[in-house]
Amino acid sequence: MSSIIEVQDLSKYYGKHLVYEKLNFDVKEGEFLSIIGPSGCGKTTLLKILGGLIEHSSGNISINGQPVKNALKARKLGFVFQNPVLLPWRISSSNIELPLEIQGINNSPKLSDEMLKIVGLEGFENYYPGELSGGMQQRVAIARALAFKPLILMMDEPFGALDEITRNHMNLELLRIWKEEKASISTVIFVTHSIPEAVFLSDRILVLSAGPAKIEEIVDIDLPRPRKTEMKHSKRYLEFMEHLRKIIGED
Amino acid sequence: MVLQLFKKIKKGSGTIVIPILFSVVIFTVWELLVFLLEIPEYLLPPPSTIFNELGTNFSILLGHMAMTMLAAVSGYLLANGIGFCAGVIFAHSKTIEKGIYPYAIALKTTPVIAMAPLLVLWFGTDLESKIATAALICFFPIIVNSVKGLTSVDRDSLDLFKSYSASKWQIFIKLRLRTSLPYVFSALKISTGLSVVGAVVGEFVGANVGIGYLILVSSYHLETATMFAAIMMSALGGVTFFTIVSLIEKKVIFWQRALETG
Repeated sequence: MSSIIEVQDLSKYYGKHLVYEKLNFDVKEGEFLSIIGPSGCGKTTLLKILGGLIEHSSGNISINGQPVKNALKARKLGFVFQNPVLLPWRISSSNIELPLEIQGINNSPKLSDEMLKIVGLEGFENYYPGELSGGMQQRVAIARALAFKPLILMMDEPFGALDEITRNHMNLELLRIWKEEKASISTVIFVTHSIPEAVFLSDRILVLSAGPAKIEEIVDIDLPRPRKTEMKHSKRYLEFMEHLRKIIGED
Repeated sequence: MVLQLFKKIKKGSGTIVIPILFSVVIFTVWELLVFLLEIPEYLLPPPSTIFNELGTNFSILLGHMAMTMLAAVSGYLLANGIGFCAGVIFAHSKTIEKGIYPYAIALKTTPVIAMAPLLVLWFGTDLESKIATAALICFFPIIVNSVKGLTSVDRDSLDLFKSYSASKWQIFIKLRLRTSLPYVFSALKISTGLSVVGAVVGEFVGANVGIGYLILVSSYHLETATMFAAIMMSALGGVTFFTIVSLIEKKVIFWQRALETG
């Protein structure tokens, strides 16, 4: 697989405080990469740097050989944050159309219906966010991220605020959406603090150490796809869990 | 009978029924006390006399109230319009905010009654000076709240708009303006009552019409029942104004209710 994002000698300072020094890694085209690490190690910051929302201090990041800003402008990146960040005064379909509206793109009126269908919320186009559950709100947020048909989906602990049952369900849904042809996402970068979630979803897991963060290890998860809930009891899955717990230092 | 009434109160019509029951009790006690303690009418007229006054001179009272409310609402609209625009400018420029804010606070701490004679001197004894006093008192809440509201946008929403390469203008129109509305409306509600205060204060200082004028004149003649009636009319005006703005708020910020019930 070829690289879609290349990161060279990436450093980030907040004032004099060093967040990372000289990170080197790449994201491969078509992969599901999770970023995991102890809280406060700068997982979210790293994602936002990759997505061009936060400036880095030094080093080089390129997406398809281009600077991040170009990828952002070319609508190659879709974001989903921990909070759904839906505008409460807009119904689902109008929330989904927001990115297109801002960029002045004429969209077909069917686009939001199509996106809602992909995330399994058909028929909810006229609901306000306040009328939807947390899981449904996050689905609308995913649909909104898909509206651009982005190449790379960047997710920052998107299911962190959900209860475990909903979260497990959303994990399966995310894998389904990722492979959905109409969604056209090639690569997913997924920040989480949950080891089981990372193992279940990812092709590779980038493990950050506590600050100033270094790359502790990049773990290849060679569980077969499509992933099934039963795999959580497989020997291989449990070995990965064990291994990651050891590196992260969680008991 | 009592039980049925109680059930009705519990059903939620209590917001109207309970206050009415309370006022009936208070007025009855008041009437009795005035009668039993033989309090002279010029000190404390019994409710029956006040209501009689309200009934017989209603059109006159209403005329005065209309003038007061005209001044109050005009000053209110003027102050909130200018105040919100000032808030927008403050929210965008820290320098301007730092330069003007101390004076806004100085203005806030200066009692309107201290400024009123000056305003009457400048704007005359007609409507204009009352609009000015009403506007002056409404100015502060809207400035503070619109600045607070316009800058209260959360980090995530800004990141979202940034990820769409949104312009400052788009962020303002599509995000900041709406986010500020709950703050703006809380200022708009507070200043309904304040605007009536401002107008009445203006009328105290120099006027020939209005609730303030009526209260002042009837106090000279010890027409205490008229004073009470005038006070009640001004309260009625303020409450009506507040209710109208609250209803508009519910229409405009419809999503807050959806959030609470959802």
